[in-house]
Amino acid sequence: MDGEVPAGMARAVLLPCPNMIDPIFQSDNYQLSRKLLDAAALRQEAIASNIANAETPGYHRLDLAPSFAEQLRSRVAAGESVAGDDSLRPTLSEDTHARSVRPDGNSVEIEHELLAMNKNSVEYNYLADVVSNNIKQLKLAITGQGGA
Amino acid sequence: MNIISGIDITAGALSAQRMRLDIVAQNIANAETTRTEAGGPYQRQVVSFETELVKQAGGQSLQTVKVSGIAPDKTPGQQVYNPQHPDAGPDGMVQMPNVNLAYEMVDLITASRAYEANLSVAKNARNLAMKTLEIGK
Repeated sequence: MDGEVPAGMARAVLLPCPNMIDPIFQSDNYQLSRKLLDAAALRQEAIASNIANAETPGYHRLDLAPSFAEQLRSRVAAGESVAGDDSLRPTLSEDTHARSVRPDGNSVEIEHELLAMNKNSVEYNYLADVVSNNIKQLKLAITGQGGA
Repeated sequence: MNIISGIDITAGALSAQRMRLDIVAQNIANAETTRTEAGGPYQRQVVSFETELVKQAGGQSLQTVKVSGIAPDKTPGQQVYNPQHPDAGPDGMVQMPNVNLAYEMVDLITASRAYEANLSVAKNARNLAMKTLEIGK
């Protein structure tokens, strides 16, 4: 091929770096942690709303929609990659399992919410560490220096 | 999206509960006030809340709480026989404010517990945000 370089080849020559780094950011654990981190941040908002409305008559507590966990579980069990799949997004829905024992029909129990918040916070910290460690490993590979 | 998740919801609830605490304080302070600018004894004030839509997240609308108004409690206060009182009527009865200390104390504790719960949400949201900023460090 002594004529012009095909467009595809030129691009491959000019931009080799993204192709090398991409597999690190597409590891299953990293992508899964990112999705779960999004879910944990959303759950924090739901809990904030539940506690703010602990005295609103007729309010039903919000939580992550169970469909997200189900979809994620079945996708992981089937060995499918969840990487970069935007159709799998956490959503909120009213918690249909929570029963109201109050005359005003509100289904928020403040102790339950505070415990859920603590649990969510531990989960968030753990996931943030996983994501962080992935990035640190990449940094280590580039610079040859660990730590900060 | 806010970096500190849910802080706008919590902020509304905090200021609403704070207003409720202020009104409880005013009611207790005026539990014996028999003469007001409007004439007559002090009337207990009641705070009412309303919900306010803040935003949409994850397919659901999230609502916060805000004060919709402060209205007087119209129930009549106690009549006490005290002829020495400067505001006593010709029959020696004094119209006292309709403040019931037991109600106010219950309201005070409910409001301050609700305030604390919202405050702990705010603290937790802050910790999460700080953790987020440490990713990759």
